[in-house]
Amino acid sequence: MAATDAPGAPASGSDGDPTDDRSFADRLRATGARRIALYAALVALVAFYLSPLESGLMTAFKTQDAFFRTTPFAPPPPGGFTVEPWFEAFDRLSTGLINSALLAVPATVLSALLGSLAAYGLTNVDWRGQIAVLLLFVAGVFIPYQAVLVPLTRFWTIVDLPSLLSAFPPLAAKAGIIELIVTHVAYGIPITTVLFRAFYSTLDDEMLEAARLDGASTFRIYRRIVLPLSGPIFAVTLIYQFTQIWNDLLFALVLISDPNDQVVTLALNTLKGSMVQQYNLQMAGAFVAALPTLLVYVLFGEQFAEGVAGES
Amino acid sequence: MTGLTLDRVTKVFDDDGGDVVAVDDVTIDIEDGEFLVLVGPSGCGKSTTLRMIAGLESVTRGEIRLGDEVVNRKPPKDRDIAMVFQSYALYPHMTVRGNMRFGLEESTDMSDDEIERKVTETAEMLGISDLLDRKPGELSGGQRQRVALGRAIVRDPEVFLMDEPLSNLDAKLRAEMRTELLRLQEDLGVTTVYVTHDQTEAMTMGDRIAILNGGKLMQVATPLEAYHRPANRFVAGFLGEPSMNFFEMEVRGDRLVGASERTAEPSGGSSPEDGDEFVYPVSAETREAIGDASAVTLGVRPEDVELVRTADGPHDFETVVDVVEPTGNENNVYLAFSSESERTFVATISGMRSVEAGQPAIARIPESAIHLFDADTGEALRNRSLDDLEETEPRV
Repeated sequence: MAATDAPGAPASGSDGDPTDDRSFADRLRATGARRIALYAALVALVAFYLSPLESGLMTAFKTQDAFFRTTPFAPPPPGGFTVEPWFEAFDRLSTGLINSALLAVPATVLSALLGSLAAYGLTNVDWRGQIAVLLLFVAGVFIPYQAVLVPLTRFWTIVDLPSLLSAFPPLAAKAGIIELIVTHVAYGIPITTVLFRAFYSTLDDEMLEAARLDGASTFRIYRRIVLPLSGPIFAVTLIYQFTQIWNDLLFALVLISDPNDQVVTLALNTLKGSMVQQYNLQMAGAFVAALPTLLVYVLFGEQFAEGVAGES
Repeated sequence: MTGLTLDRVTKVFDDDGGDVVAVDDVTIDIEDGEFLVLVGPSGCGKSTTLRMIAGLESVTRGEIRLGDEVVNRKPPKDRDIAMVFQSYALYPHMTVRGNMRFGLEESTDMSDDEIERKVTETAEMLGISDLLDRKPGELSGGQRQRVALGRAIVRDPEVFLMDEPLSNLDAKLRAEMRTELLRLQEDLGVTTVYVTHDQTEAMTMGDRIAILNGGKLMQVATPLEAYHRPANRFVAGFLGEPSMNFFEMEVRGDRLVGASERTAEPSGGSSPEDGDEFVYPVSAETREAIGDASAVTLGVRPEDVELVRTADGPHDFETVVDVVEPTGNENNVYLAFSSESERTFVATISGMRSVEAGQPAIARIPESAIHLFDADTGEALRNRSLDDLEETEPRV
């Protein structure tokens, strides 16, 4: 296969026997045909997978009129191009975007931090019965969100957060968001703990013992040794949790009642008109809503790869 | 400075319901400033012993005393002990300076300047001043080793613990670091417990060595004493390279008769004859040492087996050279009692003497050089006499 790795210049890349001209030419022709078939198949697959995205993007730039006149994936026809849907979508989603950021950033950071602490305690600190506790965390990963909806709403009815927070008016005003943060942190901890644990179990035990002998307490070891070494796995967890929380609709639907607390997934849902379907607006809205998760991937992408690959 | 005492220390691990005794009733008195080497094959409990001293492992029974104080229940950080690990265990995200500062920052309330001064001083002593701002990942194995040492030394502890600190280095560097470590320890005068599986390290470095096997302490002695007066067969076989030759013998009156060939080949036709070919007469004095044991193990060090021209005594045996291993200064000659025999024993002779495989040779095993061990318990019944050696060795 090494000889076929350079399709543009097969003669120079080939280490075939130069005296055997006939079979070499045959081979070249055979591999050439196979290459072409392979690339054709790949291009077809790329087109297949990207076509919804492309159609969405094209639709977002078309006027309503142009949308009805053309196929979805065709570019906007002359005179049918508009950026109006983007402005409208951004305008109508802006409260949701802010609320989502207020929700997703603290919830992501908190669930990653708490998961990291829990994993450290369950992996690198030795105490009796930790396996049983760990099993509870693992079980938590497998609880389906739908199964907890009723108890969850009951819980937040019993715990009256707005009146608990009445001493801090700015917080009380955002009680719905805070409920969501607590809920997402609680349901995120099991998975973040499991992710961190996988990473922490690869830490050198002797290094942590050396720190103990150096006089550092359990928490100081976490602060000065474990936490600084956790960069890559923090990237993985932050991206994962941010995407999960940003994209969540179910908990928000159940817990958010105040329109001022509307998160972006709920706001996106309102772009679906009741009478007229404004496809361009819906598509533009979808892209606006998805942008922050893309941004997080770009920001932490390098460390994410490091964390997924394991050893840094 | 203080000494360290292990008093009947026992460690039992709970391994899936079954108890595993890793360290069994070990008692060692380590004097102030002494360099003690814990040596033994892997799994003998030497690392567990060290970890108990460090406080990384709990003590099941017995006491560990630092000076007069029992430290069994003290957490590691309160024991004033520094440890050098086999993997070096450096903090990879900190610079060398950070690594060395860490212990002082965590365990003392020294000022920043004081810490800096101590770190610089220690780094100079170890010749790693120019590495202070690098991270461990950028250092070679030998440099990391030095940093690990520096991290221990800078804390100025009562006791150094070293867990096979040289085993990740290549042979040449290991020999260099061995000498350097010894010099350092002598200069600092800190009580040191050093764990290794390498008997050369044990012999060359230890003021005394403690040999462990299967969790049990076999012997604590100076290297030369352990070498020449091993307490039992295990110690005799563990120390020395090539290791001591052993022959399983039956006691028949004042003669020891080789039983090995017979037991090795129970149904072979020619075995009885072979078995009788190694007959070793012993003097009345030796016979007395044997007492009423009916079977003994005869041990003789390779360097004590001489190759002579003519057989003119009861302790000269006709043999055939099986293999010759030249090591330069010496030749290790593997001898068999007959050319058919599978079992060989080793004689170390001068490297200048030419001996070839297949050639007959006469091996002299002088009675003064033999060790006898009880075949059942392995306890030494008689050790070699030191009178025939030059008087450069200490009286043991």
